[in-house]
Amino acid sequence: MTFSKSDFPHVMWSVLIFLAVLGLGSAAIIASENFHSQAQTKQQDLHRQLNEARKQLATAEEDRDNMKTYTLEYGTLLDRHIFGSDKRLDWIEGLNDIRRQKRVLDFKYAIAPQKNFTPVPALDTGNYDLYLSTMTLQFNLLHEGQLMNFFDAMHTNINGWFIIDHCTLERGSLATDPADFSSSTQLKADCTGGWLTLKNRTTP
Amino acid sequence: MLSESLRFNDNPSGREQFSAFLHSQQNPAYLLTDFIEEDFRYEIVPHLRGGERSALLQRKFEQYYRNTPFRQALVLHRQTDGRRDDEILFTALTNPALILPWVNTMLAHSVPIVGIYSVPNISTPIIKGVNSNHLLLLSWEKHAGLRQTYFDASRLHFSRLTPINANRTFSETVAEETTRTHQYLKSLSLLQPGQTLDVHIICHAHDQPGLAAHLQNDKDMRFSYIDIQQLGARLKSKLDFADSDATPVFLHLLAAKPPHSHYAASEHTHFFQLYQLRRGLLGLSAALGLASLLWGAANIWQGSTLSADNETFTTQKAQLARQAQQITKGFPNTLATATDMKTAVLLSRKLSSYSPPPQNILKELSAALDEFQRINVSKLSWKMTPATDGSAATLPTQVILLDGELNEFSGNYRDALNYLERFQQALTQSGHTVTAVTLPLDVSAQGSIAADSDSKNQSAQFSLKIIWRSKE
Repeated sequence: MTFSKSDFPHVMWSVLIFLAVLGLGSAAIIASENFHSQAQTKQQDLHRQLNEARKQLATAEEDRDNMKTYTLEYGTLLDRHIFGSDKRLDWIEGLNDIRRQKRVLDFKYAIAPQKNFTPVPALDTGNYDLYLSTMTLQFNLLHEGQLMNFFDAMHTNINGWFIIDHCTLERGSLATDPADFSSSTQLKADCTGGWLTLKNRTTP
Repeated sequence: MLSESLRFNDNPSGREQFSAFLHSQQNPAYLLTDFIEEDFRYEIVPHLRGGERSALLQRKFEQYYRNTPFRQALVLHRQTDGRRDDEILFTALTNPALILPWVNTMLAHSVPIVGIYSVPNISTPIIKGVNSNHLLLLSWEKHAGLRQTYFDASRLHFSRLTPINANRTFSETVAEETTRTHQYLKSLSLLQPGQTLDVHIICHAHDQPGLAAHLQNDKDMRFSYIDIQQLGARLKSKLDFADSDATPVFLHLLAAKPPHSHYAASEHTHFFQLYQLRRGLLGLSAALGLASLLWGAANIWQGSTLSADNETFTTQKAQLARQAQQITKGFPNTLATATDMKTAVLLSRKLSSYSPPPQNILKELSAALDEFQRINVSKLSWKMTPATDGSAATLPTQVILLDGELNEFSGNYRDALNYLERFQQALTQSGHTVTAVTLPLDVSAQGSIAADSDSKNQSAQFSLKIIWRSKE
């Protein structure tokens, strides 16, 4: 089968129709593919947004539950002034009050500069940084109950959070003269602990 | 369905009329010829393929039918023994002048000619199913004459056309011509003595009695009749045949089952090839258009479904966002977030467990000391220590060191050691881990022991290490 230029008019319309259908068909396919692909992309985007919205709702619900569960206890912590900077004046005033109440024969204390505190074993501290102001205490006691009373009073009367690291109780000499207050000491105690504060990293 | 026939005379006026007729005809055309001038040559040639075969056939055409372009070679059979040669029937329309003017007129009008056929060329389907090795098919074409086509073992062998003399009846002509053909076949040794020629005559039922009256079966020839109406029905023609003219049968046969082989050369079928190309392109366009349409429709349908889903997702998203907003609106105005509140509270709980009040640490120890009055404590210390004993406890332990001595010690070390042992057991039972650091007397194999006569002044001093764990 051989064809020449003179044959072209016989097939011209067929060729033109074929080319037109090819062009229109391709255009239709490309346009519809674009439409489909855009809808698909939008759906993927919406899926992502929907998951995000679900997470936000779950977070909000969890926050609501947390608020319900922890607000009271958190309020107590706030009242005890354990957030933010050291409330050293509160501590000193509280210790002076205890001294006036004569809960122990005598005591001395020293508060060191504040330092970062890392609990051992480690704890999840979230957004908080922990700080500790170490305090050493020396006591003269009539009996060991006084030491317990002292720490009870610290916990009850002073706004702050004191944790005890270690204590040593040692029997002292018996009083020879009842009029000598210092000589009535039966026990001596050395304790070390610290005032703990929490600082929220995201709060200025 | 055959339409009414038109007749054009073979003269300039007839061809002009034909030309005018072709103006309105662009459909593919099948040309059926029925000429006396059609030649048949049976030949056995070597079985060849490709170029060699084409060259051989071309050589034969040039040898036999140099002066006509209307020629063909029909492969009848390939022999089964010897060289397995081909049995070929070379045929041609030997007077091209009879057809060429008509063909040229059609080509001038770009009529797509499918092929040029002859009556014997298309007759084979009529004898299909007839079991005869020597068969002569007789038909009468009103405008041509009596056509006799001989089939050897159901294969076309030769054919001849005889005009019917107006002075003779159809029956007389058949009787005379079949006798002549029989003699011709015998002369060519196609019929051996004793072999019978089966003559099948296509005729109308009206003509059959007249034919039967003139044609008597004998040892040379055996006559049978094919009812033209039944033949038409067998070939699925809806024509009503009024006489024995078989022309409509052959025209129907050609339209229904055109044979592959014909007389037209490629220059004659050129416009048909262009026609096929046109149809092919249009068919391809239709298929392409349909495929594009389906593809596009499928995409749009899927896209629309996705868009409908997207609207649902958008509504869901907005609903979830509203719910979350409503919940957060109800939160109290605090500086800390709920998560920070939780962290702070859990942290405070945990750290409180790290450092319990001294009463808690010393409670069980005090109770034990109350029970064991002979123990006089001289020094007591406790220290918060991370758990190092491999226990699963996550809280630090408190390590208590107790230094003391036993009252009422009279040098009875056994009694003292037993007393202290009971004290340790009491602590162990209350959950402590107790280790003796020093005892009044080191009775282990590694210890050194010394004594003198003044043993009354000896004291029963000891030191214990006690580990206390918070009860979570």
